Amino acid sequence: MIKVEPRLESSLAWTIGAFALAILAGFLVSGLLVAASGADVLKAFTALFQGAFGSLKAITASLVKATPLILTGLATVVAFRAQIWNIGQEGQLYAGAMAAYLGSLVLAGMPSAIQIPGIVLFGLAGGVVLGGLAAVLKTRFRVSEIISTVMLNYLVVYLLSYLLAGGPWTEIGETVSYHQSPPIPEAAHLPLLISGSKLHIGFLFAIAAAILCYLLLEKTPLGFEIRARGYNPTALRARGSNVPRTIFLVLAISGAIAALGGVSELFGVGHRLRGDYLFGLGYTGIIIGMIGGLRPGGTVLAGLFFGGLESGALYMKILSGVPSALVPAMEGIVLLFVLIAGVIARFRFVRVTADG
Amino acid sequence: MGELFQETIIVSILAATVRIMTPLLFAAIGELVTQRAGIWNMGVEGTMLMGAFVAYIVVTAADTLAGAILAAMLAGAVMGLVVAFMTVTLRLDHFVTGLGLNLLAGGLTLFWFRSYIAGRPQPTFEGFGNVAIPGLSSIPYLGEILFTQRGLTYLAILAVPLVWYFLYRTKYGLEIRCLGENPKALDVKGVNVARRQYGAVIFGSVMTGLGGGFLMLGFSDRFLSEVTAGRGWLAIVAIIAGNWMPKGVLAAVLVFAFLEALATHVQVIGVEVPHQVFLALPYLASILLMMGLRVRAGQPANLGVPYRRA
Amino acid sequence: MTDLLRVENLTKRFAQVVANDHVTFTVAAGEIHCLFGENGAGKSTLSACIYGYHQPDGGRILYRGKEVRLTSPSDAIRLGIGMVHQHFVLVEEFTVLENIIVGTQESGVRLRDQEARKKIRDLCNAYEIDLNLDAYVWELAVGQQQWVEILKALYLGAELLILDEPTAVLTPQESDRLFRIIRQMCARHLSVILISHKLNEILQSDRVTVLRKGQVVGTMKTAETTPQALTTMMVGREVDLTIHKPERPPGQPVLEVKNVSAVGEWGEPVLEDVSFTVAEHEILGLAGVAGNGQKQLFEALMGLRPLADGEVSLKGERIARLTPREALDRGVGYIPDDRFRDGLVGDFSVAENLVLGWQYSPDYRKGPFLDGKRMRQLANEKIEQFQIATPSAESAAGTLSGGNAQRIILAREFLHANCLILANQPTRGLDVGVIEYVYETLLQKRDEGFAIVLASEELEDLFNLADRIAVFFKGRVMAILDPKATTVEQVGLLMAGHGDAREAART
Repeated sequence: MIKVEPRLESSLAWTIGAFALAILAGFLVSGLLVAASGADVLKAFTALFQGAFGSLKAITASLVKATPLILTGLATVVAFRAQIWNIGQEGQLYAGAMAAYLGSLVLAGMPSAIQIPGIVLFGLAGGVVLGGLAAVLKTRFRVSEIISTVMLNYLVVYLLSYLLAGGPWTEIGETVSYHQSPPIPEAAHLPLLISGSKLHIGFLFAIAAAILCYLLLEKTPLGFEIRARGYNPTALRARGSNVPRTIFLVLAISGAIAALGGVSELFGVGHRLRGDYLFGLGYTGIIIGMIGGLRPGGTVLAGLFFGGLESGALYMKILSGVPSALVPAMEGIVLLFVLIAGVIARFRFVRVTADG
Repeated sequence: MGELFQETIIVSILAATVRIMTPLLFAAIGELVTQRAGIWNMGVEGTMLMGAFVAYIVVTAADTLAGAILAAMLAGAVMGLVVAFMTVTLRLDHFVTGLGLNLLAGGLTLFWFRSYIAGRPQPTFEGFGNVAIPGLSSIPYLGEILFTQRGLTYLAILAVPLVWYFLYRTKYGLEIRCLGENPKALDVKGVNVARRQYGAVIFGSVMTGLGGGFLMLGFSDRFLSEVTAGRGWLAIVAIIAGNWMPKGVLAAVLVFAFLEALATHVQVIGVEVPHQVFLALPYLASILLMMGLRVRAGQPANLGVPYRRA
Repeated sequence: MTDLLRVENLTKRFAQVVANDHVTFTVAAGEIHCLFGENGAGKSTLSACIYGYHQPDGGRILYRGKEVRLTSPSDAIRLGIGMVHQHFVLVEEFTVLENIIVGTQESGVRLRDQEARKKIRDLCNAYEIDLNLDAYVWELAVGQQQWVEILKALYLGAELLILDEPTAVLTPQESDRLFRIIRQMCARHLSVILISHKLNEILQSDRVTVLRKGQVVGTMKTAETTPQALTTMMVGREVDLTIHKPERPPGQPVLEVKNVSAVGEWGEPVLEDVSFTVAEHEILGLAGVAGNGQKQLFEALMGLRPLADGEVSLKGERIARLTPREALDRGVGYIPDDRFRDGLVGDFSVAENLVLGWQYSPDYRKGPFLDGKRMRQLANEKIEQFQIATPSAESAAGTLSGGNAQRIILAREFLHANCLILANQPTRGLDVGVIEYVYETLLQKRDEGFAIVLASEELEDLFNLADRIAVFFKGRVMAILDPKATTVEQVGLLMAGHGDAREAART
């Protein structure tokens, strides 16, 4: 007889194995989806991977796509590790982009060396404000952060919609408004890492943020508190921590990281403020962070992988006719299997005899 | 503005309130049962979206409104089954499960939708019309507000006393409430906890799917991926704001619906405020409602805690 | 006597642990049979198997001579087996009636509460149980809640009742009444399995089966054995039950509590006008039935529960705004009753738990980072000093036994505290060996000049350890007594709220 029982100590190899199985299962189910839509599965997946990682150009494009996902993924990691369910990465990313855009208007005309750091700071502040707001609502008014961050997402999107459709940031053509801001002057664009490609220094921001997140979580007293709160909030309070302060810092940091994603997209890719290309980056970041096992390293890997697939999706669409929305569907499916794998990894299978 | 005109607008806003309330009420009253059983299903938004999408596919492909509504409920049941499997059987964190499911639903519907409409103009459909209740519908004002509505709206309103009766006057209701407070008290009596929790989750999700289906077929003529626009989350807020009581949930749902109805009448009212302000009202209201809540006495003590024997 | 229940060679394993190893014993009709053993001896697992809550891995269970397979409590209930859990399994928000009938109605959908009400009334009358069926459980005293539990089992038609540590939460007088009524029930049609590790409970039984490390050591008639013999069988070695406490005159006052009041979650008073002083070299014992304000007092002293009124002074200095941080910084050590909830982070390593609460202290930091090397070094020191049985300093605290988890807390608190130890039920759920260790270390701290506040459900231990005993009832201090001039009965009366015992104690 085979018996399932909980593991006392987690096994790294078993955990990684379970995750690998989950990703495989995710691909199998996604393949079924593609088959059901009547397309050639092998052709579609081949095109998808070629488009993602098939050439140097494809790879740099993938890195560009991965950048905001890594950042919103890291925002998820910092919050979720503390069992703070920030699902406001979407709004915080928008807020980052909007605050940075405001910064670019304030700092317009200054040299790039001053303008760009200033713009980044404005963006970070936007995320801190929105994340901090959720923290204050939680600690002062006992509003669950899940509710507040979701609602704030909608409020921020409506604010942007107002600003760009009739509000002060609207670009007015001869007769119509385009629901977008005027283009950002080149002096404020994020510098490119490889000239001729689209890869900008936002990618380095993402990698630096991942390293800082790792140090924060694993090596600092605040990280110690974040992890302790995630496992046992009652003990953290009884052991003398200032829990409201921890919650504020977590949400502020999380908001700031997500906001950096918005800054990076606006000043590195979009170059004018518009809702469409920012849409969904925050929600996808939640998936990336969770698939990454709520670890900075895993999140970078997950971000690179799915960023790549999102970048390759267009190629797949052209070659096989499968809609590029396959990638978000895949992300959701893989996430589901990864969650299940997380449970399986906590158990072991033992053979037992009938008696004795 | 003429007095007659004002009256017409008020009646129109109130009638719209009742109509807009319908999908929210289905979801909130259904999830109320789920939450009373101790399962905090955060996947309401995704379940609603699935319901709406499946209803759209069936109504445009097979041209049957009844079939589309049934399909939406079935889609809800499937989502509920997944939630129950993950929270009850695997004992995964309820929040993580729900979030995951929302994201999955977003991705899947987007992909299927794109595949469905690939290479052709998006098909549209004709949704539900009003069913005027003979006699009652001719009462001045009230007839238009309450008795000239979609058929399912009457069902949604009826669901409130039915769920109340179920929770407080039947043995299953007592068991469900026990699960939310202390599932072990039921377990030690030899009652199957998991089976009842599955039942409560699936019931809530079927109702949510129904709400999603109605959202599609009662208001619109085509699918948009942002059709639910946070209504699933508003349903959750309504349960909290309603202190986990059927009549409280109804009241909270009415507030949200009224605000949304207001937004649809902005142009008619002619207020000089950006229309986004009105669109944002329900979301702002939900934060304010949560801030104002001082009492949460009705929250099931064991809500959101996976049950395991120890 | 015919055997009502016979358990043969029952074996149950959890992971690598064998909880029950070929256990055999019988319960005769009409008897009170005690399963006696330390925490972790396998009593609870055994009763869970008999109640169908766990399935045994080997052996068999016979009921009325027939082999039965119990795959769920419903199987046990159908046979007439009932259980009263040590930690009551009640729904606080339900009425007594609802608690009894939930999950019991077999046919129909509509609740038939009126029929049930009549049946429960009859049961109450038959055994002179006085309960308001429409009262909410949260309104009831703990002693009354136990009657709800017993009624639940009787309502389901229990003929064999498993009572798990039934007197842990009762005053001595309440336990007497409990056993009087249980005796009446046994005279009619009931048999009882009494699970206990307390000598005064065992003495109420007809026969006793002693369990040690999952195995049966022996079964004997209670009347033919002695407490000392039973204890030796239970522990497996001679145990010296007396505690050697040297006489020490108290020194300067350390903790002064003046007129402290506090309220609970719903604004109800949980502490009312509590005053006492504890000095250096002094142990103040807190006696009282669980839920009479002891836990809330510890929370108030640790700054976890705001004071509604009154003041707290440490070493003569009044603390204006008491927070957990303030308490820890002033050298207060806290040993909470629920160690895995309030004292430890189960998923953290031993090393991390040893600095929990002191993570910002310069002692464990290097620049902005935690000093991992220092933490490991400290952990290895403490693992040796406190004999913490753990695979390594990196093992998660949650994987260790209760006794070893408690040693982590002791190590941490003794390292950082310098004047006062607050210990709430520090021996709950521990083996005799660890209990001895905990008491020894507390007495050692007393010797070093610490003031100690110690709450315990074991009255005898309080009498042995404490220099003075404060008796709690409904959030009030009924009296502060000298254990040498007081009897257990007097304390018991005070625990039940009989204030006149105060007079009795003084004279």
